[in-house]
This record gives sequence, structure tokens and C-alpha cells, in this order.
Amino acid sequence: MKDEDICQFVLDLCRNEGATDVVVMVIENEEKMIRFSNNQITVVKNLDETSASIFVQIKERKVGINVYDLSKTKLKAAVKKAVETAVKSQPGDVYAPLPKGPFKYDDRLMNQGKISLDTEELVGNVQEAIDAALREGGKRIAGSLIGRNAHVTIMTSGDVFARANKSTLELSVRAFVNEHASGHSLSIAAKPEDFNPKSAGAEAGTLAKLSMNPIQGNPGEFTAILGPLVFADLASQVGRFASAFYVDAGISFLGDKIDSIVASEIVSISDDPSAAGTYGAFPFDAEGLPTRRTPIVERGILKNYLHNSTTAKKFNTESTANAGLIVPHPFNLIVEPGNSSIEKMINSIDTGLYLTNDWYLRYQNYKTGDFSTIPRDAMFLIRKGEIDKAVRELRISDNILRILKNVRELSRERKWVKWWEVDVPTLTPAALVESVRFTKSTD
Amino acid sequence: MVDFEDYLKMVIELASKKGASYAEARFQEDTFESNLLKNGAPEVTSFDTKRGISIRVIVDGAMGFGATNRMNKKDVRNLVIKVVSSAKEASRMRKSKIQFEEATIGKEKFEIRPRIKFESVSTESRIELLKEADAAAIEAARQIGVALPGRYISLDTAITTKIIMTSDGADIRSYIPRVSIDSMLTAFDPQKGYAQRTISLGESSGWEAVERWNLPVRLKNESINLGQTLLHAESFESGRYDVVLGPEVVGIVSHESAGHPAEADRILGREAAQAGETYLNKESVGVKIGSEVVNVVDDPTIPHSFGYYLYDDEGVKARRRYLIKNGRIHEFLHNRETAYEFGTASNASSRSVSYDREPIVRMSNTFVEPGDYSFEELIEEIANGIYIKNFMEWNIDDRRYNQKYVGLEAYKIENGTLAKRVRNPVIEITTPGLWSAVDAVGKDLEFSAATCGKGDPMQGIPVWTGGPHVRLRGIYVGGSA
Repeated sequence: MKDEDICQFVLDLCRNEGATDVVVMVIENEEKMIRFSNNQITVVKNLDETSASIFVQIKERKVGINVYDLSKTKLKAAVKKAVETAVKSQPGDVYAPLPKGPFKYDDRLMNQGKISLDTEELVGNVQEAIDAALREGGKRIAGSLIGRNAHVTIMTSGDVFARANKSTLELSVRAFVNEHASGHSLSIAAKPEDFNPKSAGAEAGTLAKLSMNPIQGNPGEFTAILGPLVFADLASQVGRFASAFYVDAGISFLGDKIDSIVASEIVSISDDPSAAGTYGAFPFDAEGLPTRRTPIVERGILKNYLHNSTTAKKFNTESTANAGLIVPHPFNLIVEPGNSSIEKMINSIDTGLYLTNDWYLRYQNYKTGDFSTIPRDAMFLIRKGEIDKAVRELRISDNILRILKNVRELSRERKWVKWWEVDVPTLTPAALVESVRFTKSTD
Repeated sequence: MVDFEDYLKMVIELASKKGASYAEARFQEDTFESNLLKNGAPEVTSFDTKRGISIRVIVDGAMGFGATNRMNKKDVRNLVIKVVSSAKEASRMRKSKIQFEEATIGKEKFEIRPRIKFESVSTESRIELLKEADAAAIEAARQIGVALPGRYISLDTAITTKIIMTSDGADIRSYIPRVSIDSMLTAFDPQKGYAQRTISLGESSGWEAVERWNLPVRLKNESINLGQTLLHAESFESGRYDVVLGPEVVGIVSHESAGHPAEADRILGREAAQAGETYLNKESVGVKIGSEVVNVVDDPTIPHSFGYYLYDDEGVKARRRYLIKNGRIHEFLHNRETAYEFGTASNASSRSVSYDREPIVRMSNTFVEPGDYSFEELIEEIANGIYIKNFMEWNIDDRRYNQKYVGLEAYKIENGTLAKRVRNPVIEITTPGLWSAVDAVGKDLEFSAATCGKGDPMQGIPVWTGGPHVRLRGIYVGGSA
């Protein structure tokens, strides 16, 4: 069966069985990943998948089912199981019908091209990145390149029917000079012309070389420049915990803070899947609503949580088209730029730190936002307006709202960030933050 | 299942014919049911049956992997051809050639037969159990005078069926049911603010595990302890203390600072850009990392453990591995590829979380081996110390050297007895600093369930972490504000 036939078949079955609301989504995914380390390819991975996700509501009762065998027999069995379970389930606390279509979608988002997944071509991209990193002084280069073509078909009981193509390229590259000198960079894109493995490799190599011979960092409160990879991590935490689901569950530091100050007035963060041509752009959410730009933080004030229809009803508002059928989520985060530059920021600091990457962000308390994360790769000590030395082995142990409120400058230049640590594509500048708390190991 | 066996044989034959010096074919099916209760209301019940075939080959010294759920002959054949040709292409960029050590591989079937099958437990009764546990937690909190405004409980059952065949003769079939519960409780008091507790339970068992856990009683007790911590824990002065760590904390320490660093693929730099590297190198076996009483093991063969298996995904028989023995690095975790590089034998650490993920070097159940001290004996000689029973925040750098653990339920130890509760004690310490400070190990042993993240794409795999109570002498403990 064609994807739209599968959708129609399942939709009809669900209706006949008594479902009040139905979403059927069929996803075809073709993906190639090349992982590399020690300047050579470790593995090439090929993935060809087609799966269907079926969501059934009988008023407040909800059941979701994912199917990897799309034969009629299996689909019928899945529908029967879903509806029967919904009938017997205990009701949830809210019933919100699915959005009523049909809707008009942005043509630019519906067909976002197809990229070549030719191994030779992708291996060539990897080779470019490795060569550039080596040229700039890296000795050992590692990373991954992912090319993906996806085809998504959605049909709902709210008269939604749409098909969209989506392609992406994603390179993460880390260069080492030795065990304590490394640099990390990325290139992510929705179009081949925006993909630049060479510059990502060169940046990783340059940072690795600059970070040689680091000294041990000292704990304390410092003015810090958080490079785009680090600030993207923080911005993506804002995006994640703006989900009304987490707010409702009592595990969001943004809970009860609409219209309150949550960041410096120069910080504005929105989710914008409607930004055509960007990595996280997509035409519709999981309920079939056309996506749009949603301001989350505007000039430091928390403006919106991210909603699907159910959370919107619970919060007495409208969906922001961020379904996630259960957990609303951001698609494509955008932090507005400032008017500074990393160089100017460095020049403005008497004593401080410049962080180019971080990882392993964990919360002590999701509700308050107390957390810590570990600066990784190139980190530098700034003295008298200049980079003095590379430093190592510090940890940010702070509160996320406190950091956001202490942002003093943002750079004009921005970078798209998505990698192992930051899973929502995020366009972000570098940030200069006052009084960031750093700790380090004793013993 | 019989149909898929033919596919697997066809995959191996075709890959070998096309030039693969090694071929591995796996059928894997994972069926899940997940029930979620948020603040007392059922959110959704979800079912997932993920199943397909994966192929891994070595061609001209390069590795190719592929997976599909399109289970027809044509698509599977096309995938084999694509995977072999990808590996050939990649081989042009390899100076060294990937090889597998000549492991002793098996032809075996292992399974866990549940006493109570998941299918016999209706969704209704699953939700009823969660509601009962939720109500017990709220009532317990109310009785001690705190609110519990945020409650999140998920119950997951899963059955994993695998068939693995390799071109050098492995034929492994397994059937493992797993069940887990993850919960987060948020307690609130107008004067004291918020405190949170995450609870993770998991086993490779049938529903009988859930009955044994007695979730309503468990959450009631967790709720009381969380509330008491919020209301009564006091700040204390940072400084050097003798510290007793509870099994939950010892488990995360073992996993992060002994298990991850010992992964041989990490030592070789294969995870360098994502999950990171390690402070260990190829020559580290025998290096002193802790005191003589420290023994850390990883053992997939523990019956009903969350990280249970008897053969790994390359067909190698599993066994207990000593990562640290008498305070010295003893053994790394290997698959057949890293074992060849190290000139040793695989110790069966190769695992994949689903059909569409490559098998990589993973931990299973990592823990400190028990000693012979009772809890009372561990604390009786401590004049001024801290007992950290469980934790909230933790992290460790990507070389697995500098780590941080923030305690949740914790007490002062004064003159050999437990005294007042203390708030959020922080241990921030290096790996040798931590293991060297251990001077006594308890005789109890408890495990916690966890999902260990590694690989690219990320693979979250079930593991146990654990240990007995452990005593550390004179380490620095940061106090809270």
C-alpha cells in the first residue's frame, strides 16, 4: 500500500471501531551515518525504515501505538488493540478534540528537497573535514556525519491530510592534539549549499591547537563567554522545559513564570519550525496543525509555554502547534543576535573565561533550575582583554535562571547547533555572562 | 520466527559472496507497553512493536552496518548490497584494517520465562496500581505536612526476542522480558521550597517483579523520606569528613568512574566525539587506582538483573568481569574488534539496543563487590562524618576523571551514630581520589536500575548499578547554602 492508503485504511478502521479522534502518521526514513575516529572511518551505517504511528482517543482516553510491520493484518491487529485498550482505559483529566482541518501549509516547508546519500560523496565530506582539522594542527580527528531523507504522511480525523519531504545533513567533528587539548565544531544544514564540512573541521583543528598546554582552572565566580555550543545547550533547556507537559508535571524551572522576568532583557528565544530552509523547519506538528513561530522568551520575559491541543485546553489557551501528542516540544529554536562579537567580548573582560563547549548537563532540582555542566574541549583564561592561557577541569555549578538573567552581551554572529548533547537544532550567538559559578574537584 | 531465520542465512551468504570477510545478521523484535500517570491522571497508554533485521560486515578491513524493517526479500537483498558497497567505499579511508579476534562463539538459546506474563496483566490494573501508589505517596506527604504538587510515574514492560547468526558459526537465540518503573516526586513546602526524588526500578523478569516491589509502599516511604529531607535537612559546614555512601551512590560511582573508563572502544578513541574518552590507555592494566579493598565488577549473568544476558550480540559467552581488583585496573570491556586490537579475547560486552543500532561495547550490571562490614561497623568509628544515602545531580567529565555527586537524603554521623539530616552534600572529586579514600566495604548489596547512554545515534541500554555501603576517609564535602 502507498503511505496515504495506509493512513486512510487505519483511519477508517479506527473510526469504525469507535475512536473519537485519530492521528495516523507514516514515516519513511532513509539515513546514512559515517562515524570516524583516529582520522579514519570506523563504520558506515545504512538505515531504511518505514513505520506508522497511530494515536487514538475515545474522549479523555488516549492510546498510542507504533507499528513496524505495515501489512494489513498487523495494522488491523494494532488498531483493534489500540481501540480496545482505549475503551477499557481510565479517563485522563482533559479531553481536547484534535484540531479541525483542512489546513493550508507553507509550500516551502512541504517539499524541502532530497539530498544525495551516495557513500562516496559523504566519505568525501568526511575526508574534507578531517583534512581541514589536520591542516590547522589537530592530530586525531573523530566525529560523525549523518545524511537523512524523510518522507512524512499524516492523516487525522480532523480532516488533515498532508505529505512532506525533509532532508538534513549533520556533521560533528572533534580534533585532538593530545588528551588535554581538543576542539569541537559542527555544520548542520537542510540544503547541501549550507553544509560546510571544511570550515567545521578547520575550526575544530584551530581550537584544539589553541588549547594546548592548559593550566588547572580555579574555582570561583567569573565573567564568562559562553560560545554558541554552550549557549545552545542552555537555550535548548529553555525550549525543552517550556513544554507545558513538564510545567504541568511540576518539573520545569519555568513553571508559574509566564510574564515574569526569566532572563536578561537582551535575551529572546523563540521556536520557529516555519523558518524555511533551516535544519528544524517542518510544516506541521503531530496533530496536523501548521507550524509557526512561537516566542518563548521575549526581551527577558517568559511569554509562552509550548502546547498541543490537550495541554492548551488544560492551560486555558490555544495550541502553539508544538505537538508531540503527549509531550509538546520545540522543533527549531532561535536565539536573537546581539550587537557584539566574541572578540569585543574578550576585549571587555579583565579576568574571565571563554568556553567553547560543554556536556553532561544535569539538574539538582528541575523546579528551581539548579544544575551543573562540564566545560569541555577548548576553554581559555581571559586576562586584561586578551586570551591568556588554555585552562581545564572546571565545572559550571549554578542556576539556569540566574545565568540567563546575568547575560550582558550577545554576539551578532550566530551558529546552528545540534549534536549528541544538544538534540533540538538551535541557532544561537555567543553570550557574555556575569558571575558564572565554577567549581572543581578536590583531591 | 522461522521465516526470519531464512532471511538471516540469506544475508550472511549474500554478504560473503559479495566480498565480506565477516558477516553478522540479527533479527530483533522489541514489544513495549508503557503506562504513564501524571499528577494522578492517566496520560496515555502506548504500545510499540519494533522489529527488523540488521546486518554488519567487514569488507576489505572496513565495517559496514545496515538495518531495515522492510521484511521482504528484495529490500533485504538490496540492503546487503548497499552495506557491502558502503564498507568497500570506507575501506579506501582506512590505513589500519578492522579484524575480529577468533572468539569462542556459541550456538545457544537463553531465555527468561516469566512466572506472570505481561499479557496477563491488563492495562486497567496497571493504571490502578499506579494510582494506588500515587495516592499512597500523597497521603504520606500530607501526614508529615508537605505538598506533593508534581508526580510522574511511568511503568514499562518490554519483551526482547533476538536471533543472531554470524558467518563464523554463531547462532544465538534469546527471549528476555523486562519491566521497569520510573518516577519523579516533587515535594513543596512554602518555607523550605522544593525537593525532588527520582526512583528507578527495573529487572529482567515477568510481572512478579512488580508484585515484589510493592510500589504503593515503596512510593509512600520515598515520599516520607523526601518530605522529611525537605523539612528537616540543615545546611552544614563544608570541609573534610569521613563519608559513608549508600548503595545507590556507590552504584552510580561504579558505573561512571570504573565502568565507562574501562570500555575498550573508548580507550581506542572510537567514541571520542560523542560519549568521550577515558583516563585509561592500553597499558593501564595493573595501574593502582584505589585502595586494596576496592573491587568493581561488571556481570551480565546475574539472574533477573536489568542488564542480563548470557551471550552478547556477537555470539560470545558472557562472564563476570573484574574492572578493578584489589584497587588495580584489572580488565577492560571488550567486543571482538577491540579484543583483536588489544591482543586479547572478547569478554562478551557487545550489545545493541534495537535492530536498527550497531552493537557496541556496553556495561551490563556494574557494582562494587561486597566486603564484610555491617552498616553499624562502618559508622561506629566515625567521629565526625556524613552518610549520603541517595543522590539527585551527578556528572563526570568526558575522560571520566572529574565527577560530582549531590546527595539528597543525607545525615551527619556524630561519634558513631546517625545524627541530623543535612542538605545537599556535594562530592566533587577525581576518580583516583575517590577510590583511594575507600577504607571499608559493607557486606550488603543493592542494585538500582538505570539506562546507560552511549553511541551515535544514542543507544540507551538497560543496566543495573549497585554495591554495598562503602566508607571513605577524609574527603572534602561541599555544603549547601
